[in-house]
Amino acid sequence: MNDAAPSLELLRSLAEQQGVSPADADLEAVLGFLRAILPALSELERRIPSGTPPAGLFLPDGEAP
Amino acid sequence: MSLACLAEGLRAGELSPREAVEAYLERIEELDGGLNAYITVRAEEALAEAAVLERAAERGPLWGVPVAVKDVIDVAGAPTTAASKILAGNVAPRDAAAVERLRRAGAIVLGKLNTHEFAYGATTTSPHFGPARNPWSPERICGGSSGGSGAAAAADLAAGTLGTDTAGSIRIPACFCGVSGLRPSTGRVSNRGVVPVSWTLDTVGPVARSAEDCALLLEAIAGHDPADPTTAAASVPAYSGLLDGGVEGLRVGLVESLTERADPRIAEAVRSAVAELGSLGARVGSAVVPLLDEVGTMNQLVMLPEAAQAHLPWLRTRLSDYGADVRARLLAGLLLPPTAYVTGQRARRWFYEGVRAVLDRFDLLVAPTMPILPPPIGEESVELRGERIPYRLALIPFNSPWSFAGLPAMSIPCGFVDGLPVGLALVGRRFDEATVLRTAHAFQQATDRHERRPALPAAAAR
Repeated sequence: MNDAAPSLELLRSLAEQQGVSPADADLEAVLGFLRAILPALSELERRIPSGTPPAGLFLPDGEAP
Repeated sequence: MSLACLAEGLRAGELSPREAVEAYLERIEELDGGLNAYITVRAEEALAEAAVLERAAERGPLWGVPVAVKDVIDVAGAPTTAASKILAGNVAPRDAAAVERLRRAGAIVLGKLNTHEFAYGATTTSPHFGPARNPWSPERICGGSSGGSGAAAAADLAAGTLGTDTAGSIRIPACFCGVSGLRPSTGRVSNRGVVPVSWTLDTVGPVARSAEDCALLLEAIAGHDPADPTTAAASVPAYSGLLDGGVEGLRVGLVESLTERADPRIAEAVRSAVAELGSLGARVGSAVVPLLDEVGTMNQLVMLPEAAQAHLPWLRTRLSDYGADVRARLLAGLLLPPTAYVTGQRARRWFYEGVRAVLDRFDLLVAPTMPILPPPIGEESVELRGERIPYRLALIPFNSPWSFAGLPAMSIPCGFVDGLPVGLALVGRRFDEATVLRTAHAFQQATDRHERRPALPAAAAR
């Protein structure tokens, strides 16, 4: 994962591809959030033990007492 | 009066369901103008339902007990607004599963309670319906997102309430409002008829005056629902019958890394409560939970994209009708890289395995529910140990871990600082709500923190 935040233009394009048209102020807020979370996401991707599959929609419930 | 006492009084014929409903309606009329706990009051409907119940041959465990539910939970014929402009005028065609079960137990729904817009935030300061005010200090927030549930339980505007919890939304208002709130294990209670935030993390749960009251509400609403594939098949114990076992020999682990981060006065109240559990026979030790610094990020990787997906039709057509904070969070979920969600779900398994190993050594974990006192309404940052930080960052490490792992987690009042309540978080093994409730009940039988009530008439008169 490249942890550099995307440009405002790229974010606008990604939103519009999904049918959503945010204002500049909304995209600035998202950009601020992405600048904070993308480095943490990269770090997580590096640290999660390989071979760990995603959890399901809810965790296995075989532990019920 | 507690829900348990009221239910007993109704069964004994000391008052009728109609009298109980009338008493709560009077109290709502008198006090809610200053608290804004309710979005909708069902006065006529509740009185009519009381009259029907009085003629009913069958009397369930909550027969005639007036309750209220967060306004993301459907009640047939009533608006479900989620404190939003988008859902204003959205009348629910049928009851949510949890409401159906409450009614089956004999409860009467007084109305719908205030929430953060779409239950997607932790302050309950909807720009569309106004802030819920803390009964202990009306200029302060109730927490959220189930802030109306916390306020109504604290101010006795219902005998018990239901909230929902995705990442702390039951526990935070229970803490700030000085009441008891239980987030059950994910999958314990049906989410059918509830406006979603995150299918992975959402659950309905009780907010009330005591652990005993929460046990009565939980046993009414819990259990598998064929119409909700996320509910578990695990059997549901009769929680209220399991409250009196005490804590002798129970292995309780204090999460030191969280306690050390809290306001020192809150940390002291929590340590004192843990010592009380020790004096009741619990074997108290220090628990080290891995990845607590990372779990906030992990939680966002799952919650944000799911919320964005749930809201996608409105993001396309009603974007400007969201409050600014909720809109920003929804757009962040929309624009995260697609693989981030899968990373979040992989991280959830990783984190869960780590917590499960800790819960092999302890029967229960304890920590502060919140590291801070309820901030003033409108304050976006808080002071914590000499540092000014955003309110949201203060709460995440204390609440997200337990919901992210799908564990039952409860907040009970354990002390007061500057006249404001402090909450103790009790976290159990998956589907072991019984141990959480039993421990909370033992603490409440030995102490009086949960019995203290705010000076309401003065506090609510604005």
